[in-house]
This record gives sequence, structure tokens and C-alpha cells, in this order.
Amino acid sequence: MSLWVGVGTSTNKEPALAAAEALEKARSKIPQTKRINLVMVFATIGLSTLSFLKTLTQRMPQVPLVGCSTAAIISHLGIYLHGAIVILFSFQDITWNTAHINNIRLLTPLISGEELGNRLIYGYIGKHHRQLGILISDGLNEGCSMLLKGLQEKLGLSFPIVGAAASDNFNFLRTYLYYNNEIFSDGAMGILLGGNLRFGLGVRHGWKPLGRMHRVTAADGNTVKFIDGKPAVDVYRDYFAKDISELKKDLKIISLFYPLGIYLSGEKEYLLRNIRAIKDDGSLVCQGDIPEDSEVRLMIGTKESCLAATREAAEEAKTTLKSMSSPQEKEDLPLKLVLVFDSLSRYRLLGKDARLELEIIQETLGADIPLAGLYTFGEQMPLKAVNYFGRTHFHNQTISILSIKG
Amino acid sequence: MAYYEIVILGFVSLVFNVLLTLYVLIKISRIKELTKLVHNLNRSLEEMDEQAKLIVRTDIELNKAQTELDKKIAGLYTLQMLSRAITTTLEETKIFNMLEPKRLEEMGFEKALAFLWSEQEKKFVLSLNIGFEPATTQTILSRLDIDIFLRLIEEGKTISSFSIEEEALKESIDNIFGMKSYVIAPILPKHGNKGLLFVGTDSPDMVLTEGDEELITILANQLGQALENARLFEQTWRAQQELEEKVKQRTAELASALEQIKIISKRKSDFISAVSHELRTPLTSIKGFAAILLAEKLGALPPAVKERLEKINRHSDELVRMVNDLLDIARIESGKTVMKIEPQDLKSIIATVSDLIAVQCKNKNIELTQVVPQDLPLVLADKSQIERVFINLLGNAVKFTPQNGRITISARGKNGFVEVEVADTGIGIPEESLPSIFEEFYRVDNEINQQVKGSGLGLSLVKNIVEAHKGRISAKSKLNEGSTFSFTLPIAK
Repeated sequence: MSLWVGVGTSTNKEPALAAAEALEKARSKIPQTKRINLVMVFATIGLSTLSFLKTLTQRMPQVPLVGCSTAAIISHLGIYLHGAIVILFSFQDITWNTAHINNIRLLTPLISGEELGNRLIYGYIGKHHRQLGILISDGLNEGCSMLLKGLQEKLGLSFPIVGAAASDNFNFLRTYLYYNNEIFSDGAMGILLGGNLRFGLGVRHGWKPLGRMHRVTAADGNTVKFIDGKPAVDVYRDYFAKDISELKKDLKIISLFYPLGIYLSGEKEYLLRNIRAIKDDGSLVCQGDIPEDSEVRLMIGTKESCLAATREAAEEAKTTLKSMSSPQEKEDLPLKLVLVFDSLSRYRLLGKDARLELEIIQETLGADIPLAGLYTFGEQMPLKAVNYFGRTHFHNQTISILSIKG
Repeated sequence: MAYYEIVILGFVSLVFNVLLTLYVLIKISRIKELTKLVHNLNRSLEEMDEQAKLIVRTDIELNKAQTELDKKIAGLYTLQMLSRAITTTLEETKIFNMLEPKRLEEMGFEKALAFLWSEQEKKFVLSLNIGFEPATTQTILSRLDIDIFLRLIEEGKTISSFSIEEEALKESIDNIFGMKSYVIAPILPKHGNKGLLFVGTDSPDMVLTEGDEELITILANQLGQALENARLFEQTWRAQQELEEKVKQRTAELASALEQIKIISKRKSDFISAVSHELRTPLTSIKGFAAILLAEKLGALPPAVKERLEKINRHSDELVRMVNDLLDIARIESGKTVMKIEPQDLKSIIATVSDLIAVQCKNKNIELTQVVPQDLPLVLADKSQIERVFINLLGNAVKFTPQNGRITISARGKNGFVEVEVADTGIGIPEESLPSIFEEFYRVDNEINQQVKGSGLGLSLVKNIVEAHKGRISAKSKLNEGSTFSFTLPIAK
């Protein structure tokens, strides 16, 4: 065995007590003789305080800590709108490094991504090849795609990166990142892993295309200016028979249920983009980039299609994990952790049925497996089709599952 | 070039041209077909796109309706849970504690305040706080515009951030609570302090609807009803406590009075007993001396003296009887009389006393009847004492029944007792006198009593004897129709 994982949760509303309780529970799952090498934390906004972080770092001094805020935590016990989840890792025969970056808006997302990549690589000292990167970023930064691009410039275009954009309690006001002793926004952090580690990835959203294909005729990063030569908003105006002011009023529901989907040749699903804002000139501001000349369609999602996608993503995480284990391996390593990055849009769409996603994952990957996760404003996951060379993209509305053996 | 070569070339050229023309014609036809196909495909695509628009427009409305429906169902469920919790307590201070933050969140709100108007203090008093910092709550309370909020209570109207039409009012409430979405509903118990329930959320997800207003109104009504119930319970409980206190106090007073009465009664009995004894000794001497004188042992007496001595003797006898009665009453009351209680055959006792009284009845031509069943059970009684009861009652009956009247003695078993009735067709007792007839020395004011002397002790003695047997005595009467005296004696088992 090369990996020990302990997961602990707390729903205590007092930040310091919640941190202590979750940490204690997680620590009890790992033999006391094992040294803790990494702490990962997800906590709801009410607990995202310095006292929460201090409690963790004081009890785990000198151990790197990464984490972020979320609208709700996901654990094998359930989904909690108030709570914290702590994941402790003890590595053996695994090389790892963590790094973070601040002030993304000032540096620009692309440069920030490159700088984060540099820091991750420089600190990664060991005999093992790099195998997996985990990226956690501020969910309200609209440059998520560029941040990822910058990181890929350094780690390699086809290097598997998974990750999450932090969320808040549905307010879209501020998300928090935790890195060692620091609590901050407008930043990002990464973990680089390599060695005796096997992982599986699964990603799906379940939204289906509707109506005819449209072409993006002018775009700038995450702003789509023209579609089919007309102001981008006309697509929505046309389909919903509403003027801009009405669309702005219904933007939340439109963004949730009817995102834009970018056609990706060879991929099973379209790459989704939430509409974050409608500008007065008719441009659509998305959470991730939409390249010029992309073929896009209006997408529609239902609870049923969403839950079917969850099952497919879990199956995919299971299948890809199996395929990573070589037949020559003397022993089959046990599944140690299922990490779930679930779009907040799905939570809002599913409502009370959100717990069904958890049940589906547990049915597919095992009810006893330590499970931890968070609700996100965006997810990072590689594409599967050959022509994308396994390159990671920024997604919206997906459930992204990382299963780890070790 | 030979002619035939030219001809062949021309022919080939002609064939080529024909074939080319044919090819071109076929191609043109194919292009036309393809164009038509593309046109059809485009039209289908356009039609599908139009259908997609219809689907999307329907779907967004369905989604909105579904969201509202889900919210209503969740709200109603939560409301039911809350209502159940609220009605489990009858303590006013605990009612608001039943509103759990979790339940409120399920209804889409993370903060709540309830404040009741105190008429005495002339200010709003906080009853519930969910989600607000204590300092913020104080600020809110200090900022509350009393006139506006009292008006809301008076009008009994629910308002919300989405339905307030009055711009100034909305601005004022927005400033006080500092929340994006809220509902304010009046809490209106019928009695006591009334107030307001405020629930709010800053979640951008919350789109308030009339449904939310209705739910919060119902919740506030439930709170009002619960307060009303608690207050009524409190009132009833207090009244009961006061009543219990009064009963206790009155019982103590009565017990004390009873003690006093017992003491006085004992003193009276002791006094009567003492006086009677003191009277009997000189009476015996008087009667003795009168008897000696009447026997003329000390010399012959003139007729006038003799006549007066006889009067002395007779009055002395009456006085002795009266003293004896008084002594008996006193003894019975004080428990000094030893009753020889044993099973007795009432039929035989009735027969004996009837014989005794028969002569008096005959003198007045009064018909004396006995209605006593043969199987009358035995009673527990002191025979001589019960005979005194009959003699007293029958004596009175004869005394107050005119000539040719009727006296009936009846007896029957009833609920473990034998009830005996002595009924006459005499002059009767006035209704106002009935409650007093068993009192000592009480004599009914009628013509007969004015003529015939009596002590007023007979019925009192009868009552004491019957009660000493654990029986009860009563009387009913109608003037000029007759009287009936009933008494009970326990059946011997």
C-alpha cells in the first residue's frame, strides 16, 4: 500500500469546534504510526474563518493544507449545507507538491496559471514521474479557462488535471481558498502527484442539445459577442421570445437549465458554458471560454438526464481506474478515496433529489469507500476523444469524479 | 483525310455531344433533386428549430411551475412539522423556541425575528431570533418605526419584499432589516400582546411568490393561536390555583368552626347534664315531700291545699320527665349512652308500640294502620331506644291528629337500610318550621301546642337516637293535610 486516506466531517456551526471534530474523525481512520502528509479541506461559507483554519494548522503543524469554500459539503453520510469535511493523506512511495498563487486578476489568469505551474514543478522533487494535477481556484474568477491554459503550458497540454472552482452559499459574492495558514480569494492552488498511484476519472453532465447548430462568429475569451453574425443574446431572445430585460430577470433559471453547449467532435457530450451575465450590447458572458468559430447549441437538462449522467460518470471513473492497473501488478490496490466535484447548478436543479447522486455513486463505486466532495462553480476534467489528446477543459454543470487507488 | 474518316469523326463527335448533353442533363436533374433535398432538409431543420423554441418556452414555464410547486410542497410539509411542534407546548415562552432554524431553511429562509408589542412598556419586545447577531437584533429593534409596525398589526396584513407597493415603506423596511427577500406577517392572538413575524433570506436563489406569503401567514396564524391557547391555559390554571387556595382556606375555616361547635356542644351537654343532675335531686325531695303531705300522714289537708299539692306533684313529674329527656340527649350526644345494638325484628317492635298507643287512638277515634311486609329484614338497633323513637313519633301523631283521623306505620327495605314512615292526617307543620323541628326546645307555633304543654325535646331526642344508630331522619308535611316522619335503620347482615 502506498496511500492511507482518512475522511472526517462535522456539522458543528462553531468554526473551531467543527475543524477539531472533522480533523479528529479523519485522523482516527489512519493508523497513528503513519505520518500525515497532506490535508485537504472543504467547508461551507459560515465556517470559512481564520479560527477554523488555525485550529487545523495548529493541530497539524508543518503539514501542507489545501482547500476551499463550498455551498455544501458531500460525504458518504450525506450532503450538508452547513459543515466541513477534512481529508487526510498519508503517502508512501508517492511524490507530491503543493503550490498556490494570489492576485489572479492583477497578474491575468494566463500568467497566474503559468506561475502556478512553475511553482508546482520546482517544488516537485522525487524519483516519480508526475501523474496527476489537482487544481482549486476562486469560483468567481471568469478566467478559469485561461488559468488552466497557463497551467497546461507548464505541465503539458495532455497532462491530466482535475479540479474545482470554489463556490459560496448561492450568493455569488465571494469564495474562499485555504492554503496552509492563509485564507484568501482571487487565487488558485494546485497539488502535483506521482508515484505508486492509480486513479480513475469520470465526467458527465446529462444536458441534451436542442434546436439547430449555431456558429460563434465573434468571441473574446469568455465573452461571446456574435452568434451567426447577430448579437449573441439573440439566440436566447429567439428561443425564449423574451427581450433582454426579461432575459436578465430570468437569467438564473436560464443559466441553470439552458446553458450553451460547444460541439466537440468525437466527445459523447457537449462542453457546457453557463451564462453569467448579459451585457447591454447583447454579448453573453460565460464562466469559461468559448472559442471563435465554435459550433454551439442551446442545451436542455432534466433531473432524469442529470441522474443518468451521474451514473455514467461513476461508471467511467470505475472503468478508467480499472484500465490504469497493469495486469503485471502483483496485488490489486484497494480503492482509497472517491473525490466528487459537483456543479452547484446540479444541486439547484435536483433540489431534494441531490442525495440521489450520492446514492448512485455509492452504488457504483462501493458504499463503504471514503467519499468526499464539494459543490462547485466549475470543474476541470480531461476530454476523452482522441483528437483532444486527453487535454483538460474547464466544464460547467458536470459531476466530475476522481477515484484513487494506492 | 478520307471521307469515311471524316464521317466517322463526325459520328463520334455527334455521339460524344449527345452523351455529354445527356450527362449534363442528368447532372442538372441530380442537382435539382439535391437542391430540393437540401431545401427540404433546411425546411425540416427550421421547423425542428421552431419546435425546439416551443419546447424551450413550454419547458421554462414548466420548470418555473415545478420549482414553485416543489417549494410549496416543501413549505407545507415544513409548516405541518412546525405546527405540530408549536402545539405541543402551552408555555408562551417556549412556543417560539419550537421554530427550528433547520425548518425555516427548508422553507427557504435563513433568518427570522418575532417581536410582540408590550402595551405596558410601550415598545416591541423580542420573542425570537434566528440567524441575526445579537448586536444586529438590538439595532433592528431600536430602528423599528413603531407607527408603521403597529399599523401593520392593526391592519392584520402580510407584506413582503415582492408585494409592498408603497415605495417609502419598502425602503424603510429594507433599511431596518437589511435583507433582500422577506415576508412580514402579523401574529394576532385574541387576547394579550400582538406582534409580527419577520422571515428573510439573502439568497439570490429565492424568488418570493404569493405562495411564500401564504405559508408565512399561516405560520404566523399558528403562532397567534398557540399564544392564545397558552394564555387561556395560563388564565385557567391561575383561576384553578386561586380556587384551590380558597377551598383550602374555607375548609380550614369550616374545620375550625366545627371544632368550635364540638367544643360548644360538649360544653352544652356537660352543662345540661350537670344542671339536670342538680335539678333532679331537689325535685325528688319536692316530689317526696308533696307525696307525704298528700298522703295526709302529717295531718288532714284542707281541700284547697290538697288541690295545690296535687298540682305540685304533677308538675314535678313533668319536670322530672323533661330533665330525663335532657339527660338522655346529652348522653347520646356525648356518646356516654351505651347502645345495646343487636338484630331486631321491627315488626314486633311496631306491634308493641302500636298496642301502647292504641288506647289513645281509640279515645280520638283515630285509625292506626301498619303496612309492614312479612319478610322485612332485621335491623341493627337498641330495642328500648327504638321504642322511644316510635313512642315519641306516634305520640306526636296522635297529639296533632284530630278526631277520626288516620295514622299509618309503614316499613320497607331500601339500599341496605329499612325505611320506616309514620304518617298522619293531622294539622301538619308550616313549611318554614320544617327545618327547625328537630332542634332542642323548638315548638311549632300552632293551636294545639298553645293548649298542650310540651318540652320541645322529643323530636331532638328522636333525631339523636336515630343518628346514634347511623340512620337518618326527615320530615315532610302539608298544612291541614298531615305529616310524615321517615327514619332509617341499618339492615342486620
